[in-house]
Amino acid sequence: MKISNQLLLLSMLSALSGIAGAADSGTGKPDTSKWECKDCAFEQGWSGSVDAGLGHVSDKSYKFGEYTGLNKQGGFFIGDGSVRFRGADAYYWNINASNLGLDSRSLDAEGGRQGKYKLILKYDELPHTLSDSARTPFVGNGGASLTLPAGFPAAITGAMPLAGTLQQVDLSTQRKRLAVGGSWIGASDWEYAVKFSHETKDGMKRSAGAFFTNSAQLVEPVDYVTDQVDASASYTGSRLQAKLAYYGSRFSNSNDALMWQNPFAVPATPGALAGQLALPPDNQFHQFLASAGYQFNDRTRGSADIAWGRVAQNQGFLASTLNAGLVVPGLPGSSLNGRAATLDANLKLTSAVTDRLRLNAIYTHNDRDNQTPQASYPSVSTDMFLGTPRTNLPYSFKQDKLKLSADYRFTPLTKAAVGFDHDRRQRTFQEVDATNEDTFWGKITTRALDKVDMTLKLAHGERKGSAYQAAPGILPPENPLLRKYSMANRDRDSAVLRIDIAATDTINVGLGAESSKDDYSDSAVGLTSGRDLGLNADVSWIVTEQTSLHLFGNRQEIKSTQRGSQTYSTPDWSGENKDRIDTIGIGVKHAAIKDKLDIGADYTVSRARSDISVNTGASNPAFPNLSTSLDSLKLYAMYRLKDSLSLLGSYWHEHYDTRNWMLDGVTPSTIANVLTFGEQPPRYNVNVVRLAVRYRF
Amino acid sequence: MMKITKPLFAALLVLSGVAFSAAAVAQAAAPAAAEPPPPAPSLGTEYTEKGADTCLMCHTEAWPYPIFPIFKTKHAQRADTRTPFAGRQCEACHGPGAKHAGTGDKNAINSFKSTSFLSPEERNNFCLECHRGNARTGWHASTHASNDLACTNCHKLHAESDPVRATATQPEVCYTCHKKQRADFAKPSVHPVRFAKMTCSECHSPHGSTTTAMLVKPSVNQTCFTCHAEKRGPFLWEHAPAAEDCTLCHTPHGSVYGALLKKNAPLLCQQCHTVSGHPAVARTGAALPGGSAGASGFLLAGSCTNCHSQVHGSNHPSGVKLMR
Repeated sequence: MKISNQLLLLSMLSALSGIAGAADSGTGKPDTSKWECKDCAFEQGWSGSVDAGLGHVSDKSYKFGEYTGLNKQGGFFIGDGSVRFRGADAYYWNINASNLGLDSRSLDAEGGRQGKYKLILKYDELPHTLSDSARTPFVGNGGASLTLPAGFPAAITGAMPLAGTLQQVDLSTQRKRLAVGGSWIGASDWEYAVKFSHETKDGMKRSAGAFFTNSAQLVEPVDYVTDQVDASASYTGSRLQAKLAYYGSRFSNSNDALMWQNPFAVPATPGALAGQLALPPDNQFHQFLASAGYQFNDRTRGSADIAWGRVAQNQGFLASTLNAGLVVPGLPGSSLNGRAATLDANLKLTSAVTDRLRLNAIYTHNDRDNQTPQASYPSVSTDMFLGTPRTNLPYSFKQDKLKLSADYRFTPLTKAAVGFDHDRRQRTFQEVDATNEDTFWGKITTRALDKVDMTLKLAHGERKGSAYQAAPGILPPENPLLRKYSMANRDRDSAVLRIDIAATDTINVGLGAESSKDDYSDSAVGLTSGRDLGLNADVSWIVTEQTSLHLFGNRQEIKSTQRGSQTYSTPDWSGENKDRIDTIGIGVKHAAIKDKLDIGADYTVSRARSDISVNTGASNPAFPNLSTSLDSLKLYAMYRLKDSLSLLGSYWHEHYDTRNWMLDGVTPSTIANVLTFGEQPPRYNVNVVRLAVRYRF
Repeated sequence: MMKITKPLFAALLVLSGVAFSAAAVAQAAAPAAAEPPPPAPSLGTEYTEKGADTCLMCHTEAWPYPIFPIFKTKHAQRADTRTPFAGRQCEACHGPGAKHAGTGDKNAINSFKSTSFLSPEERNNFCLECHRGNARTGWHASTHASNDLACTNCHKLHAESDPVRATATQPEVCYTCHKKQRADFAKPSVHPVRFAKMTCSECHSPHGSTTTAMLVKPSVNQTCFTCHAEKRGPFLWEHAPAAEDCTLCHTPHGSVYGALLKKNAPLLCQQCHTVSGHPAVARTGAALPGGSAGASGFLLAGSCTNCHSQVHGSNHPSGVKLMR
């Protein structure tokens, strides 16, 4: 008789499912229609918290408030908030605001319909205070033309009428960035996104201008606009993921030159009354990017990226000189027509060849092909005399890197890896046409003892270059024994050790050491060696349910040596830099009254010391140390008055001291031929108190 | 007779199937009776009866590890059909939970903790099921992946807001492993990371990139130009190391010297410039104020940059020496 096919299938399936159940593999789809999630605390409506209050800074210091806007003495308004909206049908908003009362304010908003589209809006301000002790006799600081009052020019700084003309200038810049964008989910796993960003940077910074051996530090105006566009279309499939994108960046500067009056009298060249510094020219960058990733199978995956870019700069040239007394041949063109083509590509392949062995290969190619036309330009040396014409050198760079590695998992807790990197770089118009660097490395990660995880990585690299030759067109020529460290033969050794100890259920200890050594033993003149040793230790301790403690310590020692030759031949002097930086910190968090009062403290101490020595063989007067010390203490507390209202308080004390022999004791007239700002290294002792109310809804 | 036979035969087949599977189960269980090692932890295969409601019977708001804040996040937006809570709820990420719900055994479900019996790669596969593509396209070949980093080492999903995605709290997450950088950002000259104005992810792409140090853009300089576009050029007179790689002179995390430099002038410049004349001269303490050579502009204030101020390149026709 006939047996129904369906029944046969049913019985076979039931037999199979039974066996499958015993073997613990495969599963059926759950029926989620009954999964009501009635205990799930989904949100609807507006929720979040808003902080409002007042703060006070005890003393003015440009260095304390370097990036925060807390550089001024006095009170400030505290405004922070984090607000969410969840509506029906996946509509939402996330809005965050911080430091609304300071020049470092920011606002971040994202909203839309989750799963369909998203809009973003970001506004951010970033101050950067550079100096509050700069003094200059120039008038018109912050503008494109610096002039001098009566009494100038003079032969040396000592003869200038500085006492009556020096004014203090605060050097600082402020960035304001506004970004708007959106993304939306298209059909079939496609997503599209676009973002525009507009940033202005305004202020004043340091520069300097010279007339042969006399120079003056100058205030350079900063009035920049940088616009950026990002647009992309990405596809996320189960095997294939791909993305096409465009990035565009346009920089524009409202000032193309800074003109300044010469404060030095130069009787030999009476026409050298003023000079012009070329300020950064407008430029543009456009880049098309494509990337893809493909999952060949469970074990093998590949991905590739390619980016084609174009850089362009074509700002009109300034005059060769402002010296009306010089006759200068014409320029080869009215602008540079500067352009470069960039190509960045890479290919990556990883495969879990067996359950324990994994192989990786990465190939990267980076190319900056500078296509700026070369020409011979008449050259006026610091507006004083006409020199030999010079031809510009449009430097191009190419880099090819191949990285191969294999890792083998001996046990779930022990893994070893080895790798080989090959890095080939090619340069044009420079001393070395090509350098090749080969690096071998090995790494082992293991559970050394119960609760102790250890990682050790060792690497050795050797870089060799093609013949070192005199770079064409460099006048005067360089010492033939000099080896520029970016292209010189080099041995690089590094070691990294990391130990993590889960000492007890509540105490975790982390220890680490990193060391790297660069030896330029084929360099007679130039950088000869570099060493960097870092040690770190971390302890985190959950003392009780209410209290947690965190300690950390870091020591870093950086040393580098170089050689020079005062006689344009074999080395006859050496220079050494030795930096030692120690940082320790401790942080405590304590729930003093459960659900009512939380308090905490953070204390960080950092001490840095740099010894610089220059040795010519004779007895040389030493340099004092360059040193910096930073002590920072933060105490904070949050007291919950009721569910929706909390009081936040904090006290921040910071003490900072520096010694810098480049600036200590240097006034505007200390150096006879350089009119300096007379800036002094920063020192401060500042207290900041904050009190705010947090409303939660 | 025929009519009864068909269903009877079918029933016999089904019964045999059941008997077969019972035997198979018995066979699998039989060795257990002879004192074997405990079975290796494994994911369950059956889903719970009521999904999240089953899980929340034990994992209430009072549970020591806070679970409920996830309902404030995007993962819990049911109207978006891509999210876990629009589908298998807790079990979308944690895997089938009937075995864990029945026994309470921690080793019967993927907890995503670092003590989980699943390897980081296996745990990551749960996340990558939805979050592959875009920034994660290159994850497989990234340094973080080859160091067995799990997504949950950095991301906290059950938190109201993921600390690693917020400016003020991101660096602390990275410092868990990158301890040197915490000390670097406490140095005198820094990028504003410790002031909560800049995050690691503004320059670095933690999900993978082939650029040195996992930078967001294809090259070091392109990354720097996103904020420092005035240095992009190309200039008429370029300073070769500046055009090649900003990190030849600068150290981007922090430095004891000004302007994030690795060394101060004049020694920094004298590593490459020793032409006959003033660049080759050794500047010692004699050039300090009050020194035997008198206060020298070659050493003090801006040193070389007192005259050569255009160190990143110049577009001035007479700027070949970077003095204009």
